[in-house]
Amino acid sequence: MSTNLRIMMLIVAILLFISVFIALKKGRMPLKYSLVWLFPDIILLLISCAPLSLWKFTELIGFQTVSNLVVGIFILMLFFITISLTIIVSGQNTKITLLIQEISLLKEKVREKNNNN
Amino acid sequence: MSAKILLIIPAYNEQECILKTYDSIITYCAEYNMDYDVIVINDCSKDSTSAILDINNIPHIDLIHNLGIGGAVQTGYKYAKENNYDIAVQFDGDGQHDIRYVQDIIKPILENEAEFVIGSRFVDNKNDNFRSSKARRIGIHIISFFIKLVTGEKIYDTTSGFRAVNKDIIEQFSKSYPIEYPEPITTTELLKKKYKFSEVPVKMHERIGGTSSIKAWKSIYYMINVILTILIIKIRRYPSVH
Repeated sequence: MSTNLRIMMLIVAILLFISVFIALKKGRMPLKYSLVWLFPDIILLLISCAPLSLWKFTELIGFQTVSNLVVGIFILMLFFITISLTIIVSGQNTKITLLIQEISLLKEKVREKNNNN
Repeated sequence: MSAKILLIIPAYNEQECILKTYDSIITYCAEYNMDYDVIVINDCSKDSTSAILDINNIPHIDLIHNLGIGGAVQTGYKYAKENNYDIAVQFDGDGQHDIRYVQDIIKPILENEAEFVIGSRFVDNKNDNFRSSKARRIGIHIISFFIKLVTGEKIYDTTSGFRAVNKDIIEQFSKSYPIEYPEPITTTELLKKKYKFSEVPVKMHERIGGTSSIKAWKSIYYMINVILTILIIKIRRYPSVH
């Protein structure tokens, strides 16, 4: 892997870490959700620091160049993040539905009570 | 007969027929001395459904945001649970369902022969009034095939929204109910859990107004969704109730 690519990845990893860190510090993101980003960030960091000898297996798993492997890993990480987000959104959807139902039921009860008085 | 019975009527943009449906229920109950309670769930209709419900003093719940058919019906089951109903009947607000068949649908539950009952258009050929399109019939057959595959039980009218459930199932539905395509999915789940069911013949009318929740251009998407969900139910584990 070329040194340029290493430096690029290192910069991206650091920028990603800083933005997640700021979001955490300002309380815009709970730690639970930040892990979805921090794990890929660590992987990115490891890749950019990995010694040359490690990249020997690139061809073994069918990638022609190291940079292709890096792109492949990126795509995998994005899949992981997207699936996590889908799960989070679905959970929130269930909660919102519950809230709408309970509030609507409650409103009906209040209305009933007011009518009776 | 002391069972408390609730008719859950989900309504979305049903201003043309909701009052007619309600009146038919009231007239029927007065005539045959039946004691059905009604709750209309107004799924945040954009037309004047809410105003009609208010003016005519029809018992109803206005959802504060549109939830879709599953979310609306589930609100009805929650209401049924809170108010301790023994049987909940799902009844359409668009005039498709005939109030006279409610007693047929709840009968197997009252006699302890079934825990949930589906009002079916296809069990025998009572259906001279109702002509569903050929594509729709094929779709219903395909879903029926998959339900048979997953549960081993034969259901004829898999998409019928005319159904009754007992107290135990009211409790379950109030906790969890699919938001989309609820009928075939809940049927499969209940069968997988080994609930006793019965399918009784009913006549349905052509809808008076409103549009079906299954639109033509969405039907392929609908079929894929339902079949995949049914197959997922096959690999899920459910505790058997009996």
